[in-house]
Amino acid sequence: MKQTPHSTASIAAIFSSIMAVVLFTIYAHLFEQKYVHSVAAIYHVDIIKGSAIQRMAIQQDDLLLVIGGSEIELLETPYQAYRFFSAYPTGFNVFDVSNKGASALTMAQKVAALGVDVRGKKVIISMTPAIVTMAPRGEVNTEHYAANFSQLQGMELVYSPYLSMETKKLAAKRMLLFQDSLIDAPLLKFALEKLASDSALDQVLYYASMPLGKLQLVFIRLQDHYATVDFIRHRSSEELKVTRKPNQIEWAAVAAVAESEQIKNTDSNPYAVDNLKWKQIEDLMNNPIPVGTKDDSFKAGVLGAKEWEDLDIALRVLTEMGAEPLIMSRPMNVHLWERLGVSEQAQNSYYKKLHEVIDPYGIPVIDFQEHDTDPYFSMDLASHTSRKGWVYVNQAFDEFFHSTAR
Amino acid sequence: MLTKRLTNFFTALRANTWARIFLITVYYLAIIAGLVVLYGKGDFSTPDFVYQGF
Repeated sequence: MKQTPHSTASIAAIFSSIMAVVLFTIYAHLFEQKYVHSVAAIYHVDIIKGSAIQRMAIQQDDLLLVIGGSEIELLETPYQAYRFFSAYPTGFNVFDVSNKGASALTMAQKVAALGVDVRGKKVIISMTPAIVTMAPRGEVNTEHYAANFSQLQGMELVYSPYLSMETKKLAAKRMLLFQDSLIDAPLLKFALEKLASDSALDQVLYYASMPLGKLQLVFIRLQDHYATVDFIRHRSSEELKVTRKPNQIEWAAVAAVAESEQIKNTDSNPYAVDNLKWKQIEDLMNNPIPVGTKDDSFKAGVLGAKEWEDLDIALRVLTEMGAEPLIMSRPMNVHLWERLGVSEQAQNSYYKKLHEVIDPYGIPVIDFQEHDTDPYFSMDLASHTSRKGWVYVNQAFDEFFHSTAR
Repeated sequence: MLTKRLTNFFTALRANTWARIFLITVYYLAIIAGLVVLYGKGDFSTPDFVYQGF
């Protein structure tokens, strides 16, 4: 002992640190459990790239995880699901894991980051046709991807014990195309490169990187717990208050009210475009192109979009993780696209392709095609959900939550 | 006088093995805590970006 004070001290320091980490993790877990329903009812994009609170949410019997994009986030309205269901009128609220610009590849990573907790649990994957109809040169917008990319979620996918090598390889090949997102993640980049390669040596190197990757994940998960606890601690007690008021929802009546509100919010133009978005597409709408003249380019764009490949990866991840998903698209906004020269028949190619990709997995899909000629279902060209649209979306969430397993 | 007292105190401390180990442990823990404070905080929020949806 006398000759080795540094060894003894370093062992004591390491042991104390490990104990502190374990105690903090237990504390964070209990804290997250206490406040997960509060977080569900408030805007929490600040912690959306973590996974701790999402994993806690999916374990709750009265929360439904919704992973989506701008169709969920763009319009701030009381009809947004996390606000609409905040008083648990039918016994649940949604836990929103959505952000503007999200695409299927980042969604796949979010699902993978849920780990074993997603097994057997209902989860909604929400998307809009804009992700393929308005993709720049058929590819996911790189800025959108980078903004939604999370090193934690990326690493959870790469080192997931629940995913096949084939799925990881497909994801790795796609993730490597967005090099900007990997600048600050050298180990993840290394693992992705090795995964994407067909060489046996690279496979060995991928497995060799696993212990280091798992160790890094331990640290990032700790950071995630800290960020989550810190986020909650900075909310007021009023914000964190959860009220439960059971109530029967008269969906048709709510939809009628929402439609009248939507009509008021489109009074700047005759095309039912929400006032919030009108300026952006005013020129396009006021200079219509003969219907049908853009059909070929539209169909080529839709069918060739890379997003389908990413959606397939997301579906693989959902299946291999054992989740019980529902894929919920939004409808085309037919009359607006007709002004861009695309006929309704050509627009239907979106639904056809959507089902071609999803149906082989046996995963239920809602496309809301029956609403695509309703000018007030969507608020703009990108089919972002309007106030009225939200009522139908919420009704579908409600039915899915209360349905028995597929 | 104070210097002498402090010198005697630290000499006694150095002579006591357990006290030495305790102080070195505290020193190591301080280093670990410093590293955690400097590099430990992660960012799980979305950075500002221009959403280009129409």
